[in-house]
Amino acid sequence: MRSEKLASWRLIEYTTIAVEITGSIALGLVVAGSILALLGYDPARGIFLLVFGGLRNPDYLLSRAAFIAMTALAFSIPLLAGVFNIGGEGQMYLGGLAALLAAVYSGNAAVAILAGGLAGAALGLIIGALKAYRDVNEVVSAIMLNLTLFYVIVYAITAELYDPVAPHESIKVPKGARLGVIRFGGLKLHIIFPLMLALVAVAYYLLYHTKLGYEIRASGFSPKAARYAGIDPKKTSVYSMVIGGFFAGVGGALNVVGFTYYIDNLLTCMYGMGFTGIGVALMGRNNPIGVALASIFFSMLVLGGSRMQMLMRVPKEVADTLSGVIIVALSLPYAYRMLISYIRIRRMVGVGAEQHS
Amino acid sequence: MGGSQPAVEMRGITKVYPDGVVALRDVDFTVRKGEVHGLLGENGAGKTTLMRILYGEIEPSRGEIWIFGRRVKFRGPWDAIRQGVYMVYQQFSLVPAFTVLENLILASSSMGRAKLQDVRRKAEKIEREIGLEVPLNARVEELSVGVQQKAEILKALMSEAKILVLDEPTSVLTPIEVRELMKLLSRLREMGITIIFITHKLREAKEITDRITVLRRGRVVKVVETRDVSQEELAKMMVGREITFDITKKAAKAGAPLLAVKDLWVRDDRGLMAVKGVSFELRAREILSIVGVAGNGQRELVEAIVGIRPVEKGEVVFSGESITQMPPSEVYRRGLVYIPDSRAVGLILDFNVTDNSILTRLKQFLSGGRILWSEARRYSSRIVKEFNVLVDSLRTPVRHLSGGNQQRLLVGREVASNPKVIIAAEPTHGLDVAATEYIRSLLLKLRDEGKAVLLVSTDLDEVFQLSDRMAVIYEGQIMATGRPEDFTAEELGLLMGGVKCEAKS
Ligand SMILES: Nc1ncnc2c1ncn2[C@@H]1O[C@H](COP(=O)(O)OP(=O)(O)OP(=O)(O)O)[C@@H](O)[C@H]1O
Ligand SMILES: [Mg+2]
Repeated sequence: MRSEKLASWRLIEYTTIAVEITGSIALGLVVAGSILALLGYDPARGIFLLVFGGLRNPDYLLSRAAFIAMTALAFSIPLLAGVFNIGGEGQMYLGGLAALLAAVYSGNAAVAILAGGLAGAALGLIIGALKAYRDVNEVVSAIMLNLTLFYVIVYAITAELYDPVAPHESIKVPKGARLGVIRFGGLKLHIIFPLMLALVAVAYYLLYHTKLGYEIRASGFSPKAARYAGIDPKKTSVYSMVIGGFFAGVGGALNVVGFTYYIDNLLTCMYGMGFTGIGVALMGRNNPIGVALASIFFSMLVLGGSRMQMLMRVPKEVADTLSGVIIVALSLPYAYRMLISYIRIRRMVGVGAEQHS
Repeated sequence: MGGSQPAVEMRGITKVYPDGVVALRDVDFTVRKGEVHGLLGENGAGKTTLMRILYGEIEPSRGEIWIFGRRVKFRGPWDAIRQGVYMVYQQFSLVPAFTVLENLILASSSMGRAKLQDVRRKAEKIEREIGLEVPLNARVEELSVGVQQKAEILKALMSEAKILVLDEPTSVLTPIEVRELMKLLSRLREMGITIIFITHKLREAKEITDRITVLRRGRVVKVVETRDVSQEELAKMMVGREITFDITKKAAKAGAPLLAVKDLWVRDDRGLMAVKGVSFELRAREILSIVGVAGNGQRELVEAIVGIRPVEKGEVVFSGESITQMPPSEVYRRGLVYIPDSRAVGLILDFNVTDNSILTRLKQFLSGGRILWSEARRYSSRIVKEFNVLVDSLRTPVRHLSGGNQQRLLVGREVASNPKVIIAAEPTHGLDVAATEYIRSLLLKLRDEGKAVLLVSTDLDEVFQLSDRMAVIYEGQIMATGRPEDFTAEELGLLMGGVKCEAKS
C-alpha cells in the first residue's frame, strides 16, 4: 500500500536548508551593498562593518543576545499557544526592577534572577488571565501595561531608588549579587551568555519534552482538538503567558544583575529590547534554538550598524535600513524553498519515472 | 465520443509532493462532455490530488491539462473557476457568518448596490431552473450540511461552472439528502454540465456515473463504462485482489450495563438546550446506534457523556460509577473512548503522526511530566501497522495524509487503547471499501469480546448492519428505540423527521 519514496530526500532537505540560508544572506548583502553604493558610500567597507563590526566586542554582542533571546522566548512561547504577548517590554522592565530590589535585599544573584522572573510571570498572568477569562484583548492590555510600567519604573528610579552619587542611575547591585565574567586569556565573556544558552535549552525541553509543552502546542494549533483531548486551552494559554512573562522578567534581571548592575533613569539599557524580541522570535521561527541563533545574529547587525555609523558617518536611519534589508532577506527562505523544491521535483521526476515505470 | 472534444483531458500527470511522496504517476484522465464521471480508488490512491491539480490548486510535477480542447495552465483556483472548472470540497468554502446571498456576492466579486439585485435575480433564476431550494437570506452556519452543500453548488453555477468536481460529497449526508443530491446531479447532467464524482460508496457510483476511472497507488488501473461492471468488479479493481464482504453479525446476548445515561440535559454552543432529557443504557456485548439527521443533539450528547461539554442536568454512569462532568482525559483513561465525527477535532493536523497517537492518552506516556517519546513512537508505529495507515514516516504531519488515512489513524488510536466502551461517531467516514469493512468487523469483534459500542451514524446501511438496538433522536429527544428489525427504512425516515408513529416499544 506504500507509495514508493524517492531516495535520499532527507539529504537533499538538509542541503536545501544550507543553500537557503547562504542564499538569503548573500541576497541581503547584495541589496544592502547596492543601497550603500547608491548613497555614495563604499559598499564593501560598509558591508564589512555591518556584518563584522560587532565582532570587535564579542562579549557585548553576546550579552545583548542574551537579553534579546529572553524577550524573544517571551513572545514565541505564548504564540505557540495562540496568544500574542506584546508585553515582553513591560515584563522585562518589571523583572529588572524586581531583580534590583531582590539583589539589594538578599545579596544573592540567583534570588534576584528568580525574583525578576516571578515579577514578569505575574504580569504575564494578569494579561493572560484577563484574556482567557474576561475576554480582554491581550495586545491592548499589554501595550497599556508597557507604557504604565515604563513611567512607574522611571519614577521609582528618579524619586526613590536613585544613587546619591550618580543621580541619573539607580542604587547599584551589591558586589556579592553580581554575575561576573569568565576570562579566557585576554578574552572575557559575561556569564549571562552561557546562562542564556542554558535557559534556551530549558525552554526547548519544556516545549518538546513535557506535558505542558505538548499542551501549549496542541492548544495553539487547534483549541477544538485540545478540548477533545481533555486539555483546557484557556488555562494552557494562561500558563504560556506566565512562562513567557517569566522569561521576559529573567531577561530584565540578567541585564541588571549580570551586565549593567543598575538601571538608568530613562531605562536606556533595556528600552526597546522587548519589541526587538518579537522580531527575533519570528526570525527564529518560534523555535528556541532558532531564537538563540537569531538573537546573536540580530545583535551582530545592531552593533555592526552602530560601528558603521561611527566610522563612515552613515546616518542611523540608513544603518537601520540595511539591517532591516538583511532581516527581510532571511525571512525569504520560504520563497527559496518553493523554488528549490520545484527544481528538485523536476529532477526527481526525470529520474524517478524511468526507474519505476 | 461523437467527435466532440472531451471536457477534461489530463495527460501524463505526475505529482511528487515536496516531501518526496509520489502521489500520481503518469496518469491519463479523460472526461467526456456532459457525463458524470466517477473517480474511485483506495485511500491514498491520489484522487484528491488529481482533482486539486485540475482545479489549479496545486501544480503537477509533470503533465498537461486540456479543457474543452484547449491547453490550460491554471495559476490557482480563481483561474480554474474563470474557465468553468469548480471543485466542491467536503470542507465548504462558504463564510459561515454570512448569508447565502452575501456569499454569492463575495464570489461574484462585483461591488455596488445594483449588482446585489443582479446577483439575487440570477441566483433565483438558477434555483428555479434546476429546482434547487436554498434560502438565500439564511446565514450559512444555520443551515444543515446538506443545504450548505446545495449552496456551494449554487455558487458553482453562479460562476457558470461547466465542469463540477465533487470530492466525496455524500459522506456527510443523510440518505434522504443523498437521494436529493443524486437527483440534482442528474438534472445538471441534463443541462450539459460535466461532473466528476469521487466516492467510496460503490452503490452511488453505480447509480449516478456514466463512466468510471479507477486509480490504484497513483496509477490508472482501468477506465470502464459503468453499465459494464458490477460493484464487486469495481472493488476488485480498486484493491487489486478479490475482497469478500462477509460481515456477519452473530447473535449475542447483551451482558451487564456498562454505560447508563439518565435524564441528560445539555446546551449547545449558542446556549440553547440541544439534549432534552435523554436516557439510555448500553450493555456489554451490544452495539447501540443513535440515529438521526445531523444536528439533532447527537454531538452535544456524546460530548457531554465524555466530559467535553458541561452537563446541565442528569447523570452519566460508567461501569457502576458516576462520571458526570469528569475531565475527558480521566474518562478515556477509565476505558470509555470517543471517536469524533470530525477529523479536525480528533486530530491536530499540524502535529505529526506520533504526536497525534498520544493525544488522548498523554498521561500514559509521561514519567513525571516528561513525555516518553520512544514509547510514544512504538505505540504510534503499532497503530500505523495494525490499521494500515499509509504514511511515509511517523514524523509526517497528519495534514499530509489522505483523508481516509487520517481516519484510520484516528480510529486506530482509540481502538488500540483497549477500551471497554467506544463511542464512535461516523467511524467509517471517508474510508475506502476495504477499510470500511475492516472497521465494521472490528467493531463487531469488540462487541463479541464483551465490549460495547455507541454508534452515532447517518449512514443507515452501517446502522442496520451493526446495531443490536437503535435509538432515533430528534431535536434532542429520543423518539423511539428498538431492534433493527422493528423498523423499516420508511418508518425510520419519518421518525428522524420528528413524526412519531404509534406503538413502537
Ligand atoms: N500535502 C501533501 N504533502 C505530502 N503528501 C501528500 C499531501 N497530500 C497528499 N499526500 C499524499 O499523497 C497520496 C495521495 O493522497 P490523496 O489525498 O490524493 O488520496 P485520496 O485518493 O484522495 O485518498 P482518500 O480516499 O483517503 O481521500 C497519499 O499518500 C498522501 O499521503
Ligand atoms: Mg481524498
